[in-house]
Amino acid sequence: MASDRVRVRGVSIYRPIIYGNTATVLTQKERDALPSPDHTHKWTVAVRSAASPEGAEQVGGADDLSYFIKRVTFKLHDTYPNPSRNIDKHPFEVSETGWGEFDIHIRITFIAESGEKAISVYHHLKLHPWTATGEPEIPPLDVAIKAGPVHSWQYDEIVFHDPYQNFLNILTSHPVTHLPKAKRKPVPFHLAHPGSLDASKGGVPEFTSLMEKEEAERLEEARQAILAEQERWRAILVEKEKELERLQKQLAATPLSS
Amino acid sequence: MASAADVRSILSLPEPSAVAGPSQPKKQAAVSTRKPEGISRELYSLIGPSAPSLVTLSKPQLKQKPNLGGGSKVKWEYRAFKNSARQDSLELRHWVKASTPADEEYPFVKYNVSSNVFTYSQDEYTRFLEDKEWSKEETDYLFQVARDYDVRWFIVHDRYDFPGGTPRTVDDLKDRYYSVCRKLVRNRPWEGDETSKSQLILTYHFDKERELTRKKYILSLENRTPEQIAEEEALFIEVKRIEQNERRFRKERDELLRTIAGIESGLPDIVEDEGLMNLAIDTKKKKRGSMAMDIDSPSTPIVPAPTPIVKRPQTAKNAAFDAANCIIRTDPPATIPVTKAAHQPAHLRSYKLPVPKAAVAPKITAALAELGISHSRLVMPTRDNIMQLEALLEATTSLVDTKRVVDKIGYDIRILKSRLGMRESQGAEGHPDAMDVDEGEVGDDGRAQSVTSARSARNRKQVRTASKLEYRY
Repeated sequence: MASDRVRVRGVSIYRPIIYGNTATVLTQKERDALPSPDHTHKWTVAVRSAASPEGAEQVGGADDLSYFIKRVTFKLHDTYPNPSRNIDKHPFEVSETGWGEFDIHIRITFIAESGEKAISVYHHLKLHPWTATGEPEIPPLDVAIKAGPVHSWQYDEIVFHDPYQNFLNILTSHPVTHLPKAKRKPVPFHLAHPGSLDASKGGVPEFTSLMEKEEAERLEEARQAILAEQERWRAILVEKEKELERLQKQLAATPLSS
Repeated sequence: MASAADVRSILSLPEPSAVAGPSQPKKQAAVSTRKPEGISRELYSLIGPSAPSLVTLSKPQLKQKPNLGGGSKVKWEYRAFKNSARQDSLELRHWVKASTPADEEYPFVKYNVSSNVFTYSQDEYTRFLEDKEWSKEETDYLFQVARDYDVRWFIVHDRYDFPGGTPRTVDDLKDRYYSVCRKLVRNRPWEGDETSKSQLILTYHFDKERELTRKKYILSLENRTPEQIAEEEALFIEVKRIEQNERRFRKERDELLRTIAGIESGLPDIVEDEGLMNLAIDTKKKKRGSMAMDIDSPSTPIVPAPTPIVKRPQTAKNAAFDAANCIIRTDPPATIPVTKAAHQPAHLRSYKLPVPKAAVAPKITAALAELGISHSRLVMPTRDNIMQLEALLEATTSLVDTKRVVDKIGYDIRILKSRLGMRESQGAEGHPDAMDVDEGEVGDDGRAQSVTSARSARNRKQVRTASKLEYRY
């Protein structure tokens, strides 16, 4: 229909997603079974909806995103066979084994109705446990195995501006599972908030809308601190300017000695 | 006519005692109670017969007269008191009731309020406050006088005497003062939200032109002669009379037409004409509005102002739908033609994280890092959080700017001091007491800083380390 290909102006619609990986240390037995025994970790990199499904031990993925995502391409390290992995259906994820961290290029292609170009994002594959400082630190495997799986996930929102009417209809006909309001599981760790390290331990984390609120509060607090500081410095500035003026007058008044 | 009783007696029926017929209303109840004074008949008829005992018991009580202390005597004492609002510790005496506690604060202290007059730095002045009519010195002077006299404009104007300045009216002063305040509020980073900011700006609103016109009107109103006033009144009465006449004339004409031609309605009346015209305009408007609806989405109205129909009503249901489907509606700028190139492609929210200016970026990063914030990434890059981050970056940029200016001035001061020190050490032989004068004059930040520049530099260092957010070179 012709009217379907009309852009709905003044509307932007977004879909909350997460991307990242979960990594587990392999046991010796599992390693022996692998074709490449030097691999130490099993990991899964994925693009999922942000809310976690009820009862499942998985970060995010409550909704099937294939109603607007046509394909997700994960470009792995070149040493992997067939490094460009195209995933055309839900779940959009790749599981592999390996021994090292590297950057994964994730390319998200939308369905044809969207009329939008693909978007790209990088994710640093995280195998080793988080540290409070953010400095990479590789603990011995037996320590890491006790710490449990490592989760590294980034929340984000895919924003469509002025979507086509039919694309908008597709989007709105698939309800979004919203983030839970209360914290039920550990908080996903993020380098932008090192203070969450302790809260991130002890199981599979989950994104909540509380995290957004807390971050807003952190930012607001910082802004208040900055403004207080600014007020102080303005006072100093005014003082200094007065002093400068006084000195200039004084200098003008002091006779030049020959 | 025979009454019911007569009929009964004729027909020798028994007298009805227990059951009264409908033709015999009871009269006793109404007779027995009388309406008391001070209560309206209507009210009494509501409450009266149903509860007569309550009403008739007492007359309605009016509010008691206040007891103006006629009875007992109050002791007064002549006591000394201190006014804590005074700078000097002057002690005066006044009469107080003996019952008041001795250490009670002087009750009028709270009325001694000082107005909060803005201060601005040289840097802010050159950036926002330049004005052809006003020099920096005169502006400084204005703010000083305003502070001294608590922004009481007529006093400020009375005392205002800037040497070598042009004469200013009170409106000139107000205009300058309020425009400076507005600019400062607008340009400084704001702690609260946008509405409180615009409210504050509104309190500093001053429209000089309007004020002048207003005063001119008042002046002309006051300056009317008695003859003019009389004429005005006469004219007013005349207008009233003409209007009345016209109404009467129209009524008569209507009646005449109706009797002659038998036209019931639809007279080509003036009022009706106007109504018709309004109607015509209305339909035109509606047509235009609906056309806009048909042609395009509601977001691109052809005539933005007079088409309230076009705007989609934001009902609670719509809002809930939008929230559930993660839809954000914005009013697109109607002026920009929507072309394919202008379309904003799909993106991740985190693509739009605000970026500080490259020149100050390292300093901003450092300042925020001390507060545990990293501006290059967010845990939850939602729309609101990105806006929060923007506000934070703006505030930080302004802080870094201020610090830079402070540093520059600090450097200037250092140079001046060393020059001054050089001159004085040279001139000290000739003027032995030059040093003393200097020490007395400059004494708040560094003591005797003119002696060596090294010592003054140390002083400044202390100031700097005192701050939590240390400035990074």
